Amino acid sequence: MVLLQLDPFLNELTSMFERGTETGSVWVTLKRSSLKSKVVRNKMVTAGEAVEYKCLIRATNGKKTISTSVGTKDHQRFQASYATILKAHMTALKKRERKDKKKSAEADKREGTSKRPKKS
Amino acid sequence: MVYITSWDEFVERSVQLFRADPDSTRYVMKYRHCDGKLVLKVTDNRECLKYKTDQAQEAKKMEKLNNIFFTLMARGPEVDLSEVTGKEQTDAQPTKRGRGRKQ
Repeated sequence: MVLLQLDPFLNELTSMFERGTETGSVWVTLKRSSLKSKVVRNKMVTAGEAVEYKCLIRATNGKKTISTSVGTKDHQRFQASYATILKAHMTALKKRERKDKKKSAEADKREGTSKRPKKS
Repeated sequence: MVYITSWDEFVERSVQLFRADPDSTRYVMKYRHCDGKLVLKVTDNRECLKYKTDQAQEAKKMEKLNNIFFTLMARGPEVDLSEVTGKEQTDAQPTKRGRGRKQ
């Protein structure tokens, strides 16, 4: 398991998505962790210190796993970059289909043009 | 598997699950481009909630949920979620940036 800094992690995540285009999945896991062992944590609690928690993020394509941890200060920045990567790669999902024919027909015209340029 | 059909129910139950046990709850996302499917899972190793979709619009909702989880995890489960926009308030941790709350 490779532990990376924020930016290299994002780069690796991007290439994972690109590689997984033809076949395969990409898993991303989010978990809260202090990255300290129980012993150390208990000591900190008894000493009256605030235990610092971080968000642990793991990504894998089944073969390779990468991870990074995001602290309170970085999480906004990471959030934005992460959202961009996802938006850029999740292109295989279907657009709105059927449901309410009237509504979707109107909504589609409005959203279809603003969302994505249709390839003809 | 425990697939939830309603998105709002999934979100609400996931946040509840996390708040109940922040140390063991995790949020997993699996994306398959070749199948065009997205699956979300939230579990605390006792209970498991899943949500699957193949709709592009759901990806947007998922992004919001990502933001919620990032905030919950990075700042702490007591954070008051004002749904994406302006997530600050409560629970100590005076942010150094100071979103105009300086007195």
